[in-house]
Amino acid sequence: MTMKRSKWGALAAVGVLVMAFGWLIYGGLDSNVVYFLTPKELAAKGVEGMDKPVRLGGQVKPGSVVWDEKALDLRFTVTDGTSEIAVHSKGAPPQMFKDGQGVVIEGRYGKDSVFKSTSLMVKHSNEYKAPEKGERPSEMYKSLMKSSGS
Amino acid sequence: MNWKRATIAAASAAPVIGLFAWGLTRDPNNIPSPLPGRAAPQFALQVFAPGQAALSRPVGDTVRLADLRGKVVVLNFWASWCLACRDEHAALSDVAATYAGQPVQFLGVLYNDVPDKGSAWIAEMGGQTYPSVDDPGARTAIDYGLYGVPETFFLDATGRVAYKHTGPVTPAVVRFKVDSLMAAAAAPAAPAGAPSGDTAAASKGGAR
Amino acid sequence: MTRLLAYNAIIVATAISLLGAVLLPVAIRRGRRDWLTLGYAAVYTNFVLVTVATLALVWGLVTHDFSISYVAQVGSRATPLFFTVISLWGALEGSIVFWAWVLALYGAAAVYFNRGREGHLVPYAAVTLLLVSLFFHVLLLGPANPFQPVFPVPFDGPGPNPLLQNHILMAVHPPLLYLGYVGFTVPFAFAVGAMLSGEVASDDWIRLGRRWTVASWGFLTAAIVAGMWWSYEVLGWGGYWAWDPVENASFIPWLTATAYLHSVMVQERRGMLKLWNLNLMVGTFVLTILGTFLTRSGIISSVHAFTTGTIGYYFLAFIGIVLVAALFMVAGNSDRLASEGRLDAPLSRETAFLVQNLLFTAFMFTVLIGTLFPLVAEAARGVKVSVGEPFFNKMSLPLMVALLFLMGVGPALPWRKAAGEELKGRLLPGIVLGVLFAIGVVAAGGRGAYSVLAFLFAGFALGTNLQEFVRGANARVKAHGESFVMALVRLVAANRRRYGGYTAHIGVIMVAVGIAASSTFKTEQEATLTPGQTMTVAGHTLRFKNAWGRQEKQREVIGATMEWMDGDRVRAQIEPRMNYYPTQQEPVPTPDVRSTLRGDIYLSLMAFKADGSNVTVKVIWEPLVPWIWIGGMVVCLGAIVGAWPGGRERGRAVATPAAPALAEGQP
Repeated sequence: MTMKRSKWGALAAVGVLVMAFGWLIYGGLDSNVVYFLTPKELAAKGVEGMDKPVRLGGQVKPGSVVWDEKALDLRFTVTDGTSEIAVHSKGAPPQMFKDGQGVVIEGRYGKDSVFKSTSLMVKHSNEYKAPEKGERPSEMYKSLMKSSGS
Repeated sequence: MNWKRATIAAASAAPVIGLFAWGLTRDPNNIPSPLPGRAAPQFALQVFAPGQAALSRPVGDTVRLADLRGKVVVLNFWASWCLACRDEHAALSDVAATYAGQPVQFLGVLYNDVPDKGSAWIAEMGGQTYPSVDDPGARTAIDYGLYGVPETFFLDATGRVAYKHTGPVTPAVVRFKVDSLMAAAAAPAAPAGAPSGDTAAASKGGAR
Repeated sequence: MTRLLAYNAIIVATAISLLGAVLLPVAIRRGRRDWLTLGYAAVYTNFVLVTVATLALVWGLVTHDFSISYVAQVGSRATPLFFTVISLWGALEGSIVFWAWVLALYGAAAVYFNRGREGHLVPYAAVTLLLVSLFFHVLLLGPANPFQPVFPVPFDGPGPNPLLQNHILMAVHPPLLYLGYVGFTVPFAFAVGAMLSGEVASDDWIRLGRRWTVASWGFLTAAIVAGMWWSYEVLGWGGYWAWDPVENASFIPWLTATAYLHSVMVQERRGMLKLWNLNLMVGTFVLTILGTFLTRSGIISSVHAFTTGTIGYYFLAFIGIVLVAALFMVAGNSDRLASEGRLDAPLSRETAFLVQNLLFTAFMFTVLIGTLFPLVAEAARGVKVSVGEPFFNKMSLPLMVALLFLMGVGPALPWRKAAGEELKGRLLPGIVLGVLFAIGVVAAGGRGAYSVLAFLFAGFALGTNLQEFVRGANARVKAHGESFVMALVRLVAANRRRYGGYTAHIGVIMVAVGIAASSTFKTEQEATLTPGQTMTVAGHTLRFKNAWGRQEKQREVIGATMEWMDGDRVRAQIEPRMNYYPTQQEPVPTPDVRSTLRGDIYLSLMAFKADGSNVTVKVIWEPLVPWIWIGGMVVCLGAIVGAWPGGRERGRAVATPAAPALAEGQP
């Protein structure tokens, strides 16, 4: 084997490896990319947007929250002012979750037109907010604050 | 030193640097609003902070969007608990004063806050030239698809959302947008859409 | 006063760095030894000045001097002293100060210990170190200036980020990360020095930088593990790695550094892979800067990212210059970097290192591409996306399993060419242990192909690496008649680099076992409980005793007391909490963890009734997770052994081609 031939052989091998690797990455990315969508954009996608990982941003529609404490089952509607999407989530929501709150929900939009959430985050401007009257835990949870731990 | 090879290798860094440079001009947390290009949601809200001099409106007065036809409207959502709102306050207040007597309406909308705290905040910041209205239950904020404060919407004279700005505004941004919207309103043959920029949704909107 | 002292120290340091960086090349050109000494003095002076600025800022924090902008931003009179001191690296500006200080310290040490070396390598390395230092000084004077005046002086500040105060590990993770990240600047500077001085064909730059590389690698490893531990103990979701861009930013250079640690051995022993090693070193440095850029510029969305400003443009310019200059120098020198040796046999240690390097490189590109993809997608198609965990998990699992396998094979393979019989003896303990591990997993209910393979190869790698210690010690027992323990200690002491490496391998195996077990057998359940009610998860019974609240100095705490039952006996009390900080809108959930060597009981308080009549808790059984932290410490132990001063540096074995395997076994 001459030096030349082994060099070209090595180059070809590297080329094949790189291509195989690229193909693997492409395939992996293609099926696992999470799209950031608003309810309007998700609704506009129709069937195409169903059963794909999506990060949905919007607000909790006031009066839409149904929370079953025993079954840890949460249903609500998320809206962006133009479109609405029904959301179903398992597990307790974050403490700040409330009507009108901006939320980011990760999950998949099911064929039954319900968005199944795998994670629910409250979107808040990462900013200082002085507690308003009655919002301090010591005021909100008076009976709890009296019993000070074990 | 192999100069040719060195130069070729160094040049290959260009696309990567270009990508990052482009990326820096974007805000990854910015989620595009569905509104630009569409008719702005209507509202009727009560003034709680009157504003000053030529721009003022009496407390308790109801501001209706429908009544503002023919004017460029700058809708600024803010709250007393929001730090970034402090940064933009002076810019908005000063710029608004320079448009006194022109067909422009600046309006503050209080978000998730109580009017008492809002008024106290305005006093602390040294006053606000334009009026602010209260938005009980954040109804209007929801209609506008607000994600956080501050957010500023620029409505053209025909009552459509032309631009949305997330985060604190600068005087230059406000002037540029207000001036271009006034120019569009003055030019009779101007197309219905907004001038340019962040209005990509314009052509697609309006279906619902 | 304090403010002016610190600010002026940085101004002077900027001038001195610039002066030194200009003076040194002139000194080299003119052959002026006295100017060279002067240039080195600039490196030391830079260190002294940055130390003054750093101490001044700490002093400002401790004395609550709110006329300094950084103190006004992160300080508060209510914050305990300890957290006040560590808030030095709690926000962007302070972290840059700390970074500049570590860099100046490393630079001064690297120059001091090598000042007597002949040739132009060290002076050029000093220039490189000064220029990198200069960049951080410019940041401190421009976009990340912590020393701005505040007027009127506020009486009190908001205090540091609550997440910083919530756990002790947050005091450990950032400095470790900086020590690791910044440390790679030194071997990089030696590489640049080698390229500029024309000494690149020799292995000197590798030898000069070796301990620095191992030490930095150890710090970076410790930082990554501490970061995992922190997110596990603090964030409340029961996981330790989420492939977040900020996590990836620390992991990507770790991958190239690990590849480098192995591939330099091929260069030192066989004179191969010279160009490759240079690329890995330069790449590692560029990737540390890239990681910092990604996390500091706000270019990519992440939960951990610092707030943004104009700093991104400075970093962009710096990356651009470094990337262009590095590519230019490496490609320009490539003619001098021809291989001296070649692969003799497919079954040899060189081949194992080669494959290992390919896998690490592929791993690095996978994580890098996954991290940068959202940016590319937005540029190319205008859509906002994020790359989910499934992508990283799917891509990295086969890579990790293959690397575990190589970690078992590599140490057993001799250089150049393996002989069948001897190989069998070296591999046997590993094979036995691997099969035992695999049987154990299947018996415990593990069915996934990857998890069985992971355990099989983990056992295999553990067997071969342990076998190296035993075989080496036995040889000493025979030759010197020492006791086995004594022989083991002397063996390691005489071959720190080699056995430090094997120790690190054993640590990595522990980490791998912990990860494999916890991702295969993790059990979690959420329930709403009334006082006295119990729930059972993976055979562990927990009883809700009561909910409570209390006022602490800087926060209010709501907690739930849960009892981990052993029959009727209370085995332990576990108290997940929610901490309310006055400056934060949301409570910071604080899970509580009870660790055993078999696994952790992990409790998060999810919700509670205002009157304490019920709480919702999440209970997770996390098998073998503590082994990840133990393994991390063992890896660091290995790095300490490997980087410890003294011991002899092994030269190249090209001159003694006969039976290198034997020579290896009996050092």
